[in-house]
Amino acid sequence: MKLTLPPLVSAASFQRALAAFERVVGKGWVLATDEDRDAYADIYAPGSENEWPASAAIAPASVEEIQAIVRLANEYKTPLWPTSRGKNLGYGANAPRMPGTVVLDLGRMNRILELDVGLGYCVIEPGVGFFDLYEHLQREKAPLWMSVPGNAWGSVIGNALDHGIGYTPYGLHARNLCGLEAVLPDGDLMRTGMGAMHGNHSWNVFPLSFGPDWTQMFTQSNLGIVTKAGVWLQPEPEATTVLTWDIPNEEDIGWVIDTVTPLKLSGVIDQNVFVPSWLGKLVLKGQRKDFWDRPGAIPPSRVQELLKQHNLGYWQAQVRLYGNEAVNRAKADVVQKAFARHLPTPPTQEHWKLGEPLSQFDITAGVPSAVPLQMSDWVGGRGAHMGFSPVVPASSKHVLGQLQRSRKIIAAHDVDFYASFTVSGRFATNINMLMYDRDNAQQVANIRKLFNALIGETAQAGYGEYRTHLGWMDGVNDTFNFNSHAQRRLNERVKDALDPNGILAPGKQGVWPSVYRDRAGTGGPA
Amino acid sequence: MKRALLFVWFAAAAVCRADPTPPAVKGPAGGPPPILPYQMRTLLPAGDRQSGGKDGRVLFSNRCGACHFPGGMGTNLLTKERVAAGAAPESGLLTNRKDLTVDFVKMVVRRGKLAMPRLTRVDVTDAELDAIAHYLGKTGG
Repeated sequence: MKLTLPPLVSAASFQRALAAFERVVGKGWVLATDEDRDAYADIYAPGSENEWPASAAIAPASVEEIQAIVRLANEYKTPLWPTSRGKNLGYGANAPRMPGTVVLDLGRMNRILELDVGLGYCVIEPGVGFFDLYEHLQREKAPLWMSVPGNAWGSVIGNALDHGIGYTPYGLHARNLCGLEAVLPDGDLMRTGMGAMHGNHSWNVFPLSFGPDWTQMFTQSNLGIVTKAGVWLQPEPEATTVLTWDIPNEEDIGWVIDTVTPLKLSGVIDQNVFVPSWLGKLVLKGQRKDFWDRPGAIPPSRVQELLKQHNLGYWQAQVRLYGNEAVNRAKADVVQKAFARHLPTPPTQEHWKLGEPLSQFDITAGVPSAVPLQMSDWVGGRGAHMGFSPVVPASSKHVLGQLQRSRKIIAAHDVDFYASFTVSGRFATNINMLMYDRDNAQQVANIRKLFNALIGETAQAGYGEYRTHLGWMDGVNDTFNFNSHAQRRLNERVKDALDPNGILAPGKQGVWPSVYRDRAGTGGPA
Repeated sequence: MKRALLFVWFAAAAVCRADPTPPAVKGPAGGPPPILPYQMRTLLPAGDRQSGGKDGRVLFSNRCGACHFPGGMGTNLLTKERVAAGAAPESGLLTNRKDLTVDFVKMVVRRGKLAMPRLTRVDVTDAELDAIAHYLGKTGG
């Protein structure tokens, strides 16, 4: 990819900035060839990767190097886009929002600084991936479990900062963060929570602070670069029981949610309960063409045939119970009785006890895997996906409404329907996977149109997304419109106060510093 | 024995699921379902990641193992691709391939291939990639 300069920076000034960055990190860690720029493009880009081009990447090895880079970035007015490991696939990967931004790749900062087995937490750097932390826990024989997202190739911190979710009792990843260290846009270094006191022993165990706690200020934000985080880990359970039901009909999702939510709120179920639709099962059995050889969405009659043929329900509900075996048995009894009021077929049961091996695909046991990414092969070619991810209250009224609305919009665009609802307590996250072939221009154009329609109509109905791709950050930001976008005004005032040169991740989540504010709404989908 | 084990791995890999559910892996008729345990990667060696003379086997494990060990995403997709092309299923494991060249390995890592994203020079440095490519690229070149 050819060089796209940062806005407001001349070619000569850019070269001087790169030379200055090299003096900080060493020559080999400023990456600015055409091939490097390709590697920092959004590999799943819905359209041309040139829409979100990086000008270069810098890979620091320490907090001090980050501070020095940030100060230079202010001097040379070169904006920085921090990424932890850059594997935010489906949401923009490691590409920056504003063309020409320099990616600050924290992948080299991958130390596990502390592991407290008794209190169940670790302190890590942003480059630590789920695989790295998992293997560290195994090597240390630490009786602790992680929570992992569907694609566990990425960074533990990066995923939590982007509000990622997993499927264990620790599945709300941003809530596992306890005590952050962050470099501010002027190069200053601060710690959140009790970490604000030098040498405080409670930094990574007390989730609040004396005064306001700024931890959430650094999630999905462009107000600082997180350089360390305390991350809570789940004590390894003595045993688990997995109950799995195939749920026959589309509208059954209503009673499933109304059954799971009270059990979750009352503490019978601890985990985030994941309920995917049938396509989640088919994507690994073959490619789309093996099941339906025409371009449009698979018609309902064919879907029914496939469900029969592959012995699938429209949904699958699965509950895992963690802890003491006798307690799990009693909980399983409660959960089964609740489901039996709606579905006579009993669930399949799988039992696991401490000491027995876990499968490498056991995501509800916190085992990291990249296998779910295999779904990119479903459409064939250079397959990719984007996730449309609104959050709804966890009750049948809201879930069925959301299902019917998105179902209708997706069908109107003639695209296969693949949705999941994850019940995390009082809310459910509805992820709609939209899969496309990156080289099929018509498909890409259709997916973009579809994405716009989903955002608009869902917001109209009173729901918003929890996370989105680079190209729709402005669009989703726009939907948060209480009191004529009061939150945006606050975000912009804070941004300008802390980052007057606008050097940290301009446009992230639709928050633009004044210096680039005229770019809001540009570069995204038409 | 090794071959038989591999076959079980692939049979299991073929039915693994795309979502966070434990695998309903079916073993030989009548037997208990085999468990595919997590395979640990070798630690990344300490020291300068940009200097030469590295051990490609160790680096392949550390840098590529998350997807290219048995049961991994890359292995599963390559197995499908290889079988469709009439090759043996075990050739889905890169370490079993005899036809890879050094240049081809480097090209795929830097340019990506179908579902495989490009890797940056922070993911895999040029020195690391050189060692990995020579380890996998058994036909030289």
